[in-house]
This record gives sequence, C-alpha cells and structure tokens, in this order.
Amino acid sequence: MAKILLIEDEQIMLDLLRRKLTEEGHEVSIAKDGEEGLKAMTEAKPDIILLDIVMPKKGGFEVMEDMQKDPSLKRIPVIIISNSGQPVELSRAQKLGAKDWLIKTEFDPQEVIDKVKKQLWQKQS
Amino acid sequence: MFSYNFYLNIFLIFLIILLFIFYQRKVSDLKKAREEVEMILAIRTKARTRALNELAQSLEKKVERRTKELEESRIALMGTLEDVEDARRIAEEEKDKTLSIITNFSDGLLFFDEKNKLSLINPQAEKLLKAKNQSIIGKSVLELESFEAFNLLAKTIGKEIKKISKEELLLYNLTLEVSTISIVKEDKKTGTLIVLHDVTREKTIEKLKTEFVSLSAHQLRTPLSAIKWTLKMLLDGDLGEITKEQKEYITKIYQSNERMIDLINDLLNVTRIEEGKYLSHPILADFQKIVQLVASSLENIIKKKKIKFKFEEPKEKLPKVKIDVEKIELVVQNLLTNAILYTNPGGEVIVSLGSNNDGIGFKVSDTGIGIPKTQQKRVFSKFFRGSNAMKMDTGGTGLGLYISKNIIEAHNGKIWFESKEGKGTIFYFTLPCGKGLVEKPQSAIIN
Repeated sequence: MAKILLIEDEQIMLDLLRRKLTEEGHEVSIAKDGEEGLKAMTEAKPDIILLDIVMPKKGGFEVMEDMQKDPSLKRIPVIIISNSGQPVELSRAQKLGAKDWLIKTEFDPQEVIDKVKKQLWQKQS
Repeated sequence: MFSYNFYLNIFLIFLIILLFIFYQRKVSDLKKAREEVEMILAIRTKARTRALNELAQSLEKKVERRTKELEESRIALMGTLEDVEDARRIAEEEKDKTLSIITNFSDGLLFFDEKNKLSLINPQAEKLLKAKNQSIIGKSVLELESFEAFNLLAKTIGKEIKKISKEELLLYNLTLEVSTISIVKEDKKTGTLIVLHDVTREKTIEKLKTEFVSLSAHQLRTPLSAIKWTLKMLLDGDLGEITKEQKEYITKIYQSNERMIDLINDLLNVTRIEEGKYLSHPILADFQKIVQLVASSLENIIKKKKIKFKFEEPKEKLPKVKIDVEKIELVVQNLLTNAILYTNPGGEVIVSLGSNNDGIGFKVSDTGIGIPKTQQKRVFSKFFRGSNAMKMDTGGTGLGLYISKNIIEAHNGKIWFESKEGKGTIFYFTLPCGKGLVEKPQSAIIN
C-alpha cells in the first residue's frame, strides 16, 4: 500500500496509530521527535507523514519549515495531528504546506485512516 | 399862749411822726415783699433742683440701660465672632481632611477646571504619570501632550475629556483603569475629576490564571486523546473480540471521557475569551445550513430522549451573514443541546429562523424544566447552573451560555431568553448582516 511516517512523542498514540495503519496494510515507520522525524523521512522517503505539533527537540512547525527548504521533502503530504487547533496554528500550518489537520480529542483512529486514504488518493490522481 | 411857732412845731413833730409811721410801714411792706420774693425764689429753686435731679436720674438710668444694651451687644458680637471662628476652624479642618485624603488616596486623582485646565493633581497621579506638580498645573490636556504619559492618557480621555468608566490604559509596564467624573454644582459643570486606578497586579494574576488554565487544559488533552483512541479501538474490535458486557462498560467510559473533553474544550474557550483572542476572521455564510447541520448531529440524542423536534423553515430565504462559522456553530449547538437536555421525554423543542433588514434571528423554544425566576439574572455568567438543572443532569459545566453570549456579542448580535420554571424556555439571538459586523480591535481577532 503506502509508506507512512508517524512523528509523535506520545508512545500510546504511536502504538495505536501504528497498529491501525499496519492493519490497513501500510508500511509504517515511526519517529518520537522532530529531529528523528526529519532523519527518518530523508532515509525512508515516505508517501505521507503524520506529524504532531508539540514535541521535544523539534516541534511540528519547525519540521515543516525544514521540509520546505529541502526540495526532496517539500512535496511529501503532511497531515497534522495535534492536541490543539487554534486558528493561528491552522493558518500557520497551511502556509507551511500541511494538507490536513486533526485535533486528537475530536477524531478517532478510524477517521485518521480515512484522512490518510483521502490524501493518498489525491496524490495519485 | 401859744404861739404860732408852737403849733408849727407841734405840726412838724406830728408830720415827722406820721412820716416815720409811714416810713416804718413801707419798710415793713418792702421787707415782706422781699421775704415773699425770697420765698418764691427758694420754692422755685427747690422745684428746679428737683426737676434737675429727676432729669439727671433719668439720664443716668438711660445711660445705664444703654450701657447694658451695649454690653449685651458686645457679648453677642463676641459670641458671633467666636461662632465665625469656629466655623472657619471647622472649614479649615474639613479642607485639611479632604486634602489629606486626596494626597494620600491610593488612586491617582486629577482635577481639570471648567476650562479644562489642570488645577489639582495628587502625588499618586504624579507618580503614575511621571510628572511634577509645578510643571503641569494650569495646563490644558492639549498643552500636557508634550509629556509622554499625558499623551497616552489624552488618547484615552480625549482633548475635551469625554465621559469614560474604567477604561483600560497601558502606561509603560502598568495597567490603569481610567474613569472621568463630571463635577456639577447647581446645574453648572465646574470641572472633571479623573481617577487612575492601578490594576496591574489584578491583570497579572488574571493573566497567570488564564495561562494556567490554558496550559493545564492543553496538558489534559493529551492523555484524554490517548484514552479516547484506545477505547475507540477496543470498541471497534481492533484489539480483539470483546463481550457484549465489556462493550457496554467501555462505551460508558468512552462517554465519560467525551464529557471530560467537552469540559476542557469549554475551559479553553473561556480562557481564550478572557485572553481576548476568540473570533477568527469571519466569512459570509449560510446560517440556515449551519443550524440544520447542528440539528442533524443531535438526532441521536433527540431520539434517545424521546423528544419531538421541529425545525421551522424561514418564510423568506435568509440573507448570508458574515460570521465566524465554527463559533456560531458552537452557539447553536449549546442552545439546542440545552433545550434537548433540559426537556423531559415527551416534550417538544422547536427551532425557527427569521430575518429582517437588520439581520437574522434564531429562536429555540422548549417545554422543559425552565430557569427559576430568582436565578434568571445569572444565566449568562460563568459557571452558572440552574438549581433544577443540576438535579437533572450533573454533566454541564455552566460555561456554554457564557461562551455563547460572548460569541454573539463579538458578532455585534444580541442574545436573550424568556423562561418559566416548569413550563419551558425560549432562547433568542440575532446577528446583524451587511455592515453589521464591525471590526473589533486587533487584539480581539486572531489573524
């Protein structure tokens, strides 16, 4: 199916999402902070990235900023998964090229899968 | 014989005797007359002396009376003088007292006379405005603008010193509340008093409180999301088969967790309102669509509560309104959820919409428990919950209507209600269309 990179510092979220996505048949790699995430995406070249915002070492916004500077990473679609969804944050993420935004408390894992599907479908077409 | 001479002598003697007798008699008469005169004189003198005495006595009495009167007047005058002195002293003391109150008052006080010239400033105001009495007294607001702090103050009060109450003024690192009070004497304005109340400490505490709530709410969201997602996967069978009983319990935990998430969202909304960053950029939107969308999301609860729900379409198509869609959705959801939750099974909830030239209107009426009359004043205040509502459902936070009111007012709309305990409640709100939505100060809008 697709190569997905999960960048998230919460172990349980990481476990749940990995499980759900693997069940869907995706190839999932994980990173527990922004720095690790950037390294992983350079190596693995994922089809899609699920990215948390508040993380140690490097936050989600900084990760996207770095991605914008790198032509090989620039085009990888990013879905933000965050605890908060304030309008300032949303517009900042949009400017940095994020394709979608999920507020963790308002969505459940199935909906994350659906969003991933939607992005992959858009990428193909 | 007797001679002629003899007779002549006799006659002469006789004549002499006669004359003597006559003389004697005259003398005695004269003497008598003199005595009489003397007597009369004596009597007269006596009488006059008495009269004089009487006169003197009466004069003396008069003098005595006048003296007494004068003495009394003098005493009275002295008394009056003493009274005047007392009054002067009391006035002086009062003045001293007033002055010492003004001088030692913890708020900054400035008094501008009827010509809008500064005539009094207390030390606290001098300190706040970083200005010395001698250099500023007698100057108008316009003339004072050369002083930096006064320049900032003038922006708040205006050159003509308009009427304001507790308006916030950021002065260097201080936050002041500025109020102006017109001093009127016998229908004539004699000047304006300006009160500068330092609320820096309160503002700092408020900010810390808001930050604390905001931070803890964010922190709480993380584990709540983890719980939510885990439970959801358990329920969906992603983590293996579960029994019917297990599923029931997990559903209950899931619902409790959802309620906790709602509560934290409410708390976050409140802190955002209080931080002044709440409305995002409004867009032209179809209000009817929003209401119908919210109503359809509540279908499950309506069915579960066995309530009749009616949506009355507006007679004419509603004009589009410029709103922050997400926030207005929240208001509609709050009002509809309240109507449904606080109406007993068998009851009815009716939503209707309308419009006129000024804007659009929303109305939701229910046949629910109503709001007790004595508590109606507090309906829109933070954490308010009706005593009867608390008995019925313990889940509410008492923040929904507070948030709703803030959202509607940020849109320059109005929100109000009518309610009778045991009969039901009607909530209304209006939103202006066209140019109704005025730009708020930058701090109130997130860009």
